[in-house]
Amino acid sequence: MNNESSVIEIQNLSRRYGKLDAVHSLSLTVRAGRCYGFFGRNGAGKTTTIKCLLNLLRPDSGTVRVFGLDPRKNEVDVKSRIAYVPDFVAFYPWMTVAGTLEYLASFRKHWNRDIESDLLKRFQLDPKQKASTLSKGQKTQLALIGAVCPEPELLLLDEPTSGLDPIVRREFIQTVIGAYQSGDTKRTVFVSTHLISEFEGLIDEFTIIEQGHELITMEADAARDRFKKIRVRFTQTPPKLTLAAALDIKQTGREVEILANGGSEAVLEQLRAYKLEDLTSESLSLEEIFVASNILATKK
Amino acid sequence: MFPTLNFPLTVFPNCHTVTCQLPDMLLQIDFKSGKPVYLQLVDQIRYAAASGGLRPGEPLPGIRPLAEELRVNRNTIAKAYTELESQGVIETIPGKGCFLKENHSPFTKPVRQKLLLKEVDEAVVTAHHLQVDREAFLALVKERLDYFERKIKEKP
Repeated sequence: MNNESSVIEIQNLSRRYGKLDAVHSLSLTVRAGRCYGFFGRNGAGKTTTIKCLLNLLRPDSGTVRVFGLDPRKNEVDVKSRIAYVPDFVAFYPWMTVAGTLEYLASFRKHWNRDIESDLLKRFQLDPKQKASTLSKGQKTQLALIGAVCPEPELLLLDEPTSGLDPIVRREFIQTVIGAYQSGDTKRTVFVSTHLISEFEGLIDEFTIIEQGHELITMEADAARDRFKKIRVRFTQTPPKLTLAAALDIKQTGREVEILANGGSEAVLEQLRAYKLEDLTSESLSLEEIFVASNILATKK
Repeated sequence: MFPTLNFPLTVFPNCHTVTCQLPDMLLQIDFKSGKPVYLQLVDQIRYAAASGGLRPGEPLPGIRPLAEELRVNRNTIAKAYTELESQGVIETIPGKGCFLKENHSPFTKPVRQKLLLKEVDEAVVTAHHLQVDREAFLALVKERLDYFERKIKEKP
């Protein structure tokens, strides 16, 4: 039996499309009440993983558990506790906005009408409008309303904000923040994206995958603490630096930029021994960590 | 602008900061500062309390609206408020929200001084590296103490 508090548990998941290794031996655990980021480039295997969680794809090997259940054997139990916003949303074109929501609600045990009317107002969607005439952004908003109103325990978002304008993205993220953990039950969010910066404040923990392989799994705060960019300007031509903790060193004239993967304090201490004009240190954002981890992977 | 408690060593590029205007208080988050987001909030609310931006008995913003405004996880706001509560800065009244407390630290005087010592040491180290000498440092400390006192008195 799985730990009660883990909502998603993936162990050694592999899935191939012919010769292509879409996901290779991926393991991750998402605890209840967390907002988990799943980052990767296009084609890294994010959607394949999510589809395995929903039993839209069968894993070739490995196990997938959602709420401790096997999505293949307990498909209805699992799906009734999940809401999913896919990267590409499609509705029946002849239905109106209100009709679509009515249709979605008919599959759910619970549907919060107050949230529905609040969000329709917030997004300025006309309930009488036909789904076929909605813009891409409006379709995503409609899908989000459909996902939030049943107040699911787990919200799965697959590239939800790609192709949306900045204002719609911002509203989308605020709605996700507002929607989860509002009741007594702990709600969990699992979001896959390559547009990382806008989810920065939301993410508790994340996994980065590349070509089906896991690169890093870390707590967001710990990651920002570990990856630092140090800029230093020497008064004279800089000495040859040998820094154990440096991931990357760039030098232009008297200025040096150091990318540290942990141990930044030691690097700073080492640098302070020289005559310096300027010394700054800042954390990498999650997006920069994502880029750095891909550099790291190609170097190997 | 709303300064953080630490001496800024970093130049903050605007694209990585999120600000939130509240009545009498401006909260600002910077993901690149190297400090966990919840601690940034703790520091800024403590600052507001020390400088009269927030007065005893006044409510703090609700967790959900603040989280939406700053676009951060609600857990982060909740963690900041829990930390502030354990430090005796705020109190939670069930069903009503969080309020700034009268300034009574739950710690004994030696503990309070010891807690401050660490911060003072950090400032001393920073001053050393910035070549700020003893007189200038002490003058700066005095000036800041006066500044905060003045700010609190300005408020009705």
